[in-house]
Amino acid sequence: MRVIELNKSVTESNDADAEALRNDFRQSGTLLFNLMSSPGSGKTSLLSRLIKDMAKKFEIGVMEADIASDVDAKKIEDLGACAIQAHTDGMCHMDAGMTKRAYEAMDENELDLIFLENVGNLICPAEFDTGAGINLMILSIPEGDDKPLKYPLMFEKSDALILTKIDTIDYFDFDLEKCKERVKRLNPDIKIFPVSAKTGEGMQELETYIEDSLKDWRA
Amino acid sequence: MNKNEIDILEVKSDVIADNDREAAKVRDLLKQKKVFMVNLMASPGAGKTTSLVRTIEALKDKYRIGVIEADVDSDVDAKTVAAAGAKVIQLHTGGACHMDANMTHRGLEGLGLDDLDLVVLENVGNLVCPAEFDVGANKRVAILSVPEGHDKPLKYPLMFTVCDLLMVGKTDVAEVFDFDLAACEEYVKKLNPQIEVIPVSAKTGENFDKWIDWLEAQIESFRQDFDKEKREEDRA
Repeated sequence: MRVIELNKSVTESNDADAEALRNDFRQSGTLLFNLMSSPGSGKTSLLSRLIKDMAKKFEIGVMEADIASDVDAKKIEDLGACAIQAHTDGMCHMDAGMTKRAYEAMDENELDLIFLENVGNLICPAEFDTGAGINLMILSIPEGDDKPLKYPLMFEKSDALILTKIDTIDYFDFDLEKCKERVKRLNPDIKIFPVSAKTGEGMQELETYIEDSLKDWRA
Repeated sequence: MNKNEIDILEVKSDVIADNDREAAKVRDLLKQKKVFMVNLMASPGAGKTTSLVRTIEALKDKYRIGVIEADVDSDVDAKTVAAAGAKVIQLHTGGACHMDANMTHRGLEGLGLDDLDLVVLENVGNLVCPAEFDVGANKRVAILSVPEGHDKPLKYPLMFTVCDLLMVGKTDVAEVFDFDLAACEEYVKKLNPQIEVIPVSAKTGENFDKWIDWLEAQIESFRQDFDKEKREEDRA
């Protein structure tokens, strides 16, 4: 498994870098998903499940952005996807330049889908365009239905919201309808997928969305 | 304080090269006013506010409690905490993902320390950036909730290294999640052998008295040191 050390990009023009990277991906027909969430919301379990379900049909790559360890990249590689571990050197988010360098270090040009597992943080990653075609946000049921009120930017910036650990909803005071309403108020176009990577509930709908997004991307 | 009367203060992260010097100033101010401060840090949704409310309920008859709520942009927590009986100030960090010492200093001034014994800073929900900034608090406390997983110390080591105490929260749902408490403790102690680890449920109250006992002991020791220094000064 490869590990790459990334520092913050020197360039000031993150938006321009992001746009250029997005164009490169469009040309190669590769769709990059930027996966953002709190620590412990289940990004890795969700990815593992998606890879298991979709790896037969698509070439999948994963870029793991972590402060330090490589626990997640190891799990992903065991499932057969190609993975690269990007160490952000204490940085709390990925920017477009860092994403580009991580992608180049993967040295794979035949990929259909790439998932960037951003640093576990609801704040800073929302502010930086990584060049992804789709921004996906994960909110897990145990975190609470009030998070859209507290971290509005991330909900505004995301194309789809994945509500994970839906199998545990009976154990928490999580009001699904209230949460959806708060999210839609911030972002009327957002798609919402309640799923459980553990039981498989809702995964089919999410996988269809991913497939359709790839078709649209290549159209 | 009426819950409709929340003070809101807009603060931006200052580019102060010497945050540590500012932190020392905060510590001096707290010492001078005989106020003990805790910097409470955790992921979003780990249960900081619920734990704080329960802490206020347990200690409000003994200490006069103030809370600095640091959020990117909202005041939902401040209202909850004010209703529990603490004096509250809401800080808006203007998008910044952590509190630094200067922002904290302004928060303390906004709150006013003359009628307080204990201040809790509820830091921005984030396991990364808040760990890097000494805000001048007497003790740093982190909460890791059971649903987040026992591997978090491996992924966010600095937070667990800088804290004096770790609360493992939401233990009432331990059975629903594959959370290995022993493994978690082992990871944490490897990073920080001195850290206290207390598993609690702020919802059911399970084990919560252990945390309250620890906090009381820290406050009492701080106050005894203060009184002792005062006596020595008076004698001199």
